[in-house]
Amino acid sequence: MTDMQSMRRIRNLVEPLLGLALVLAMWHITSRHVANATLVPPPALVWKAFVAMLDDNLPQDILASLLHLAVGYSLGVSCGLALALLAASSRWLDAVIDPFAEFLRPISPIAWIPLAILFLGVGRAVPIFLIFYASIFPIFVSTLAGIRRVDPSLVSAAQSLGASRLIVVRNVILPAALPAVVAGARLSLGVAWMSLVAGEIVGGDAGIGWRILWYQEFFQMDRVMAGILVVGVLGFAADTALRLLQKHAGRWNPAQGNLT
Amino acid sequence: MSLQSAHALPRGARWWLPLLVLVVLLLVWEVAVRRSAAQGLVPLPSGVLASAVKLTANGVIIDAMSGSLARVLIGFAFGALVGIPLGLLIGILPVMDRALRPVLDALRSIAPIAWIPMAILWLGVRGDAALFVVAYGAVFPFIVNTSQAARLIDRRLLAAARALGAGPWILLRSVMLPGSMPLIFTGARIALAFAWASIVAAELAIGIKIQGQGRSVAGIGQLMVETLYVQRDVDALVFYMLTIGLVSLLIDAGLRWLQQRLLPWSQH
Repeated sequence: MTDMQSMRRIRNLVEPLLGLALVLAMWHITSRHVANATLVPPPALVWKAFVAMLDDNLPQDILASLLHLAVGYSLGVSCGLALALLAASSRWLDAVIDPFAEFLRPISPIAWIPLAILFLGVGRAVPIFLIFYASIFPIFVSTLAGIRRVDPSLVSAAQSLGASRLIVVRNVILPAALPAVVAGARLSLGVAWMSLVAGEIVGGDAGIGWRILWYQEFFQMDRVMAGILVVGVLGFAADTALRLLQKHAGRWNPAQGNLT
Repeated sequence: MSLQSAHALPRGARWWLPLLVLVVLLLVWEVAVRRSAAQGLVPLPSGVLASAVKLTANGVIIDAMSGSLARVLIGFAFGALVGIPLGLLIGILPVMDRALRPVLDALRSIAPIAWIPMAILWLGVRGDAALFVVAYGAVFPFIVNTSQAARLIDRRLLAAARALGAGPWILLRSVMLPGSMPLIFTGARIALAFAWASIVAAELAIGIKIQGQGRSVAGIGQLMVETLYVQRDVDALVFYMLTIGLVSLLIDAGLRWLQQRLLPWSQH
């Protein structure tokens, strides 16, 4: 019995590593085969580059990217939330906001890059603007849908007990719509992260995306690869954080937690 | 919705109200820009319209768009070709799921555009680098949705087919694939939207890299960079932007229509 359990534990530990090991092995063999550390930097070299970058300017690049993300994302998410609340509160506003959102939504943040460069100049404002724009729509759409799904009998119950509009919004509608809000926030973060990297690469002057292109100018492809992997790790960490938040937000509200 | 005020909208307001607001906004914008010193630096609604007519008539936008769209379609097809079989494999065999999920999650987290320096190095700036970025971005929605679909297949259907003597090939073709198609199609819609955003990003990055080293307007992204840095034409930039949005709307509408035609049994 304990033998079986320890076998299973070992299997659970080893299996997830198999794919990673396979990719690393393939990468290593390819780099040996190509035998050109610029064209295909071997994994060991990229690891060394990563360690060297940690002592160099990687921490400050990551900080710069996180600053872009923090400013743009918080502005975009609050804007999207506010718009969703406005649209939910009045039919007139809804009739105006909704078509405009539907009109702007298909224009991807990427398409704004040239205009953003023209008006804001190459610099930190470009990625921040892109993140802001990208974050608005997913949370707007998701929050509005969440508010519309709130059980009307909950609202009338609160109203018949004498709750004011403010209390209804704060204590009934927002908590009931919370899982949808968090789901929207997670979607927003995904688009925001992609816009961050694109914005920094094409129109930025700081951050991890910008640094990748900077290393490319010097043909330090081992550092470029390390930077690309850092982009992946940071994106993964951000998504995991919001996934945990999502689990937490949906837990107390099974009726909606499953829907979103 | 009891949160909303009781006043109902007048009949037809959902249609004319946004249009009215749009027209008023555009008029105010036009007049304000014409009166200020910013003319030529800030896009004018009438100028955007004029650019639209001119660039459509001389075919500039059509050439650039067809170049970009061709690359999107090839990258998208590549994503389907790799993503659907891999997704089926992961969805059917739990071992594959446990073994491959971490590495796929890790690769998926890398924004496709971050690969642009490596892609340029491997494939050059003439368009293949952008193709790599698009294909990379398109693979993952296919994998995620196909594996999810394969996992959600009704086990009783499989058991019934097996009891009637179906072999693995018939199971795959007649039960797994039709049952998975709706979700795979949703994945295709996500992949295509993602591919379209990625191609513009990749072409912009490439355009900026080769700016001034001999022009090669191969796609909408390069065209935008040239318009930005060489011609400095704001109105044309806005027109290109709107066209990018229009194309993504058309792509999505087309796929929805296709889904209804091909898969009438799917819900959406």
